[in-house]
Amino acid sequence: MAFRLEIALKPDLFDAEGEGIRQKAKDYFGINIEKIRTIHVVTIDADFTAEQLTIIQKELFTNPVTQISSYSPLPVEFDWTVWMGFRPGVKDNPGDTAIEAIEDVLQVRFGPDEAVYTSKRYGMVGKGISSEDANQIASEILANDIIQQWKVFSSADWDSETGIGFIIPKVILNHTPTVTTIPIGSDAELKKVSDERNLALHPNDIPTIRAYFLDKDIQTHRKRVGLLDPTDIELEYISQARSDHCNHNTFRGLFRYRDEETGEETIVDNLFKTCIEVPTLELKKKKPWVISVLWDNAGAGLFDKDHYYVITGETHNSPSNIEAYGGAITGIVGVYRDPLGTGKGSKLVMGGYGYCVGPRDYEGALKPHLSPRRLLDGVIEGVRDGGNKSGIPTTFGQVLFHPGYMGKCLVFVTAVGIMPAEVDGAPAEQKKTSPGDLIIMCGGRVGKDGIHGVTASSEVYSEHTPAGHVQIGDPYTQKKMHDFLLESRDQGLIQFITDNGGGGLSSSIGESARFSNGCEVRLQEVPLKYEGLNQWEIWVSESQERMTVAVNPTHLDRFLALSGQHAVESTVIGRYTDSGKLHITYNDETCAYVDMDLLTSGFPQWEFDAKWLSPKRRCLFEPVLNEPAKYGPLLLDLLARPNIASKEWICRQYDHEVQGTSVIKPLVGENRDVNSDAAVIRPVLDSNKGLAFAQALIPGYSAIDAYHMVACTIDEAVRRLIAVGADFEHIGGVDNFCWPNIQYHADENPDGRQKAAQLVRACWALKDLCLAYEIPLLSGKDSMYVDGYLMGRYGESHKISALETMQFSSIGVVDDVAKCISMDSKIPGDRVYILGVTGDELGGSEYYEHFGYVGLNVPRVDADRFAVLYRALSHAVREELVASAHGVYRGGLGVHLAMVAMGGNRGMRIDLAKVPVTGVDRNDGVLFSESPGRFIVTIAPENEAKFENLFKQLDCSCIGTVTRDSEFIIHGIKGEVLVSVSVKKLKDAWKRPFGDLI
Amino acid sequence: MTDVRALVLTGYGLNCDHETAHAFALAGARASRVHINSLIDGSVGLKDFQIMVFVGGFSWGDDHGAGVIQAVRMKTHLGDNLLEFVEKGNLVLGICNGFQTLVNLGLLPGFSDDYQQRSVALTFNDCGNFRDEWISLKVNPSSPCAFTRGMNRLELPIRHGEGKFFSDKDTIQRLMGGNQVVVQYTRPDGSPANGKFPFNPNGSVFDVAGICDPSGRVFGLMPHPEGYNHFTNHPNWTRLKERLKREGRRIGTGPTPGILLFKNAVEFIENRS
Repeated sequence: MAFRLEIALKPDLFDAEGEGIRQKAKDYFGINIEKIRTIHVVTIDADFTAEQLTIIQKELFTNPVTQISSYSPLPVEFDWTVWMGFRPGVKDNPGDTAIEAIEDVLQVRFGPDEAVYTSKRYGMVGKGISSEDANQIASEILANDIIQQWKVFSSADWDSETGIGFIIPKVILNHTPTVTTIPIGSDAELKKVSDERNLALHPNDIPTIRAYFLDKDIQTHRKRVGLLDPTDIELEYISQARSDHCNHNTFRGLFRYRDEETGEETIVDNLFKTCIEVPTLELKKKKPWVISVLWDNAGAGLFDKDHYYVITGETHNSPSNIEAYGGAITGIVGVYRDPLGTGKGSKLVMGGYGYCVGPRDYEGALKPHLSPRRLLDGVIEGVRDGGNKSGIPTTFGQVLFHPGYMGKCLVFVTAVGIMPAEVDGAPAEQKKTSPGDLIIMCGGRVGKDGIHGVTASSEVYSEHTPAGHVQIGDPYTQKKMHDFLLESRDQGLIQFITDNGGGGLSSSIGESARFSNGCEVRLQEVPLKYEGLNQWEIWVSESQERMTVAVNPTHLDRFLALSGQHAVESTVIGRYTDSGKLHITYNDETCAYVDMDLLTSGFPQWEFDAKWLSPKRRCLFEPVLNEPAKYGPLLLDLLARPNIASKEWICRQYDHEVQGTSVIKPLVGENRDVNSDAAVIRPVLDSNKGLAFAQALIPGYSAIDAYHMVACTIDEAVRRLIAVGADFEHIGGVDNFCWPNIQYHADENPDGRQKAAQLVRACWALKDLCLAYEIPLLSGKDSMYVDGYLMGRYGESHKISALETMQFSSIGVVDDVAKCISMDSKIPGDRVYILGVTGDELGGSEYYEHFGYVGLNVPRVDADRFAVLYRALSHAVREELVASAHGVYRGGLGVHLAMVAMGGNRGMRIDLAKVPVTGVDRNDGVLFSESPGRFIVTIAPENEAKFENLFKQLDCSCIGTVTRDSEFIIHGIKGEVLVSVSVKKLKDAWKRPFGDLI
Repeated sequence: MTDVRALVLTGYGLNCDHETAHAFALAGARASRVHINSLIDGSVGLKDFQIMVFVGGFSWGDDHGAGVIQAVRMKTHLGDNLLEFVEKGNLVLGICNGFQTLVNLGLLPGFSDDYQQRSVALTFNDCGNFRDEWISLKVNPSSPCAFTRGMNRLELPIRHGEGKFFSDKDTIQRLMGGNQVVVQYTRPDGSPANGKFPFNPNGSVFDVAGICDPSGRVFGLMPHPEGYNHFTNHPNWTRLKERLKREGRRIGTGPTPGILLFKNAVEFIENRS
């Protein structure tokens, strides 16, 4: 029997959710709705007495002060009602907590066939709303057909007795789990099966796989456990482990790089090894603070003698592109499992985000699945709920708009954690599995989630088919698990821990069993969300919120008791062995039996042709552009460009200070509304040490040369830390590459060789800069194939490739947070200094982009020279000589002087003639060149002499003063007044594009 | 030294437990983080504590009204113990999600010694979104609240999506009349916010940010005092530091206003015994 409870706010109460939808309908589509009321629907598919139903209604789901509710449809006035609910198998977090609450209040247990489902209906009043309007609101604002279903009722269609009816999105598979044997008679035969089953085996891998299973010795061993040809589960295991996602085949590939100008050919064997691993290991020798790199889920650095910090960054692009909210929340909650699975477990202390999307107001001919505006809204909200509900401050982030991301958006998520240096007297960063340890799966249950990622989206839906390929992260379940696992760690109950992300158990057990050299897994023990999953599906499912833990059998009782106390599900699903075999059974029958070392031997390297055409050879040139006359309006327009403009609405909906550790917030200044250069937290509450964290993202320079894109991005990430007071001698990095496909194909990817050359050059820059600035790469990831096909106006489709993009995250330790500084000008009379030299480097700049140009003269990093300056500034900040410091980034000096003035809410008088330049003789060059290596610094007059003394022989010049009035005045090279505008006007312009959003 | 003991609840999606315990430790109490289930199964007893804190977070994901499920679970399993704890003259503090829980439990407003009646609510912010921002507050000097004695104006962070205080007119009048409204949102200059966003960040009626019971021993508020446990938590501290430096003074020499609130609680218990 099913019951349907409808709940709404009392009619005289303001419905903020309804109002938000009303506003969106108006802004997006010009549909005028007078009023919307939101009705929450709780459908209980279980048997309860009338008395029990009353308790459920009154105690749990109806607030007597604010809400009304009824088991029959609420009589809410409407012209149209839109109902929307999840498709079967989509994670319904409120449904799950409703079950917990009902079980608790009634002291009952739900049976396996009983459940609670939540959905919503919206009653819309408005005479002018057409049926098309109602459907458009349903499909383009409220629901996403990938995960949700909806129904539209007119007031005439509505039956006030039956209402929306009873919609039970229960998964019914009616399937007996089956292991299938795959014939491997020929390469072609296996290739065919691979294509049919979406195994995505690389053609070059197929002979190696066949050779293994055809080996006589192997076959003899396999026969003993009842196997011969490979099973589906075995091939899935190999496919997951060999995927580019898990194995980084591209970065480990062989590149034949040819410079078309010089004709010089270079063979680059393994970008990962040569540009990431070797430099990082070299730096590790020099930097004793590097604790653990290149093997665990995240890298670790020394925080103080009792604590290590850990950091990693991920992307979650493809899922977010399809279902923005679900993709983004799964991304942030997922990356938070990486530190949790680092060493013997780390507590999460901070998160960061980076979104690259199409222009928010895009109204062109291309038709992405989600409009850029809707996509961005969904991504923002996904990270909001994922971060806030995890109780982890989201302290830093950036958004970048560019049409290249319409094919596929980028969602970067970064996680920082902290662990004690020792657990139970042993080093906390080390861990291993040993024969005899039990394999325990903790957290969520397994369903058909995320199996084979997006390829499943082409399958046909039925009423009860699980829409499992797009997931919705569940921060609540994970937070409980996080608290439980850290307590287990502190009690010394954890031998090894890792997360279940891409590849599910296949990856987490496959990788952890390498330490002990073998495992036996009993798949029938794995708790499932619903019956009927095939064995291979249980093995590779990417259902979220799960960790795999190795526990010594003597600790099992304590571990499970603690798990129970934290209301976390933990199940023994096997044990680690030293048999050299990955051995999987289901009801005692073997379904996989392969050698642990199969994956490390004999697979061929991927190969790429890379051809570099220099920017000049590509006919890039400096535009013929005469100097502007109206600098005031120009500056205001640049401040209002989407990639410069204030995005306060995003920072404000992210809890950036939970845990009570906040030192430098994402928004600073007198009115707390200007972006800080970096975030600083004090992760150990009884210590005055801090962690500074920043990120940079400047893909625009890739249009000229990805080498300089990477060099400038790293330089910016470093300067951001220096600007808040971090120590230049201790900076760790995380590289996140997002690249379009680099495999040349004459028709499908004609510029693949150029993109491959860009990747090689980008990695060279990564190596060069990391060595020059002595930044070990604590972690890093790559996401290739950032391409998408979009339909156009005439039924044609276009391949859209993203700019070659790398986000760089930087992290450093601050000895005393009381010496941190912020970017806002402080006190009238303070001197304004510029550090660094402004060059003729407008190529790829915001200024050129404003006019539609790319240009040629891309900014270049002179790392050795810059490093001297950075050390000097670090020193000055330590001596407390600096009132404010701010890097000069995108938009150049003009834009960033304005930022400093807006932060301080004070005027400024600047003399451009005093700015040190090289090769620049025009005001627009001085104001808008994006030369790296520069800072704007303000100094109290009494500190001037000391400060200048520290910068003797360095590029440092006093260019103006902070004024008492509110006028922002810039004098040009010849002394003329170029800009004279109030700080308020600057701020109004900067806030205009997104200032109304909340 | 001191034997004032504070119990800080954890578990089920709560997330401000560490800094709240830290704040109580700074204020001189012995603070213990205790899982909700440890209280329920009796392995930890309320009788060993004089202060109980319902902390911020997202208990049960806040999926069915913030703090609702936590309140039901506490009431189902610990109802009488909680009432007894209050009757014995102890202190109960609810911050953010904890405040939401207290009003759903009925421990607030606690009119006429009825600590089980739900008569006020915290519902969705009028602005339609979660919001993190420092706001200005005015403390009611006539309030009996044990936590805010001697305090006047203060700034604290708010971080919530459901912080709009709501009740019917009579209840509000009664709260105002009994000086149970402890803190109200103001403009930065101390004048009333009068419902104006963002000074009143959520649309609370009468700018109410926190209330206490008639005894002043049960206190709930949406802003986070534990979020101001160190002078560097304040959003303008770098500006203040620079200004003080020019006057030859130093920043961060005494406890923060956030910690003073916890100190008041500790002193209340100390003076009681």
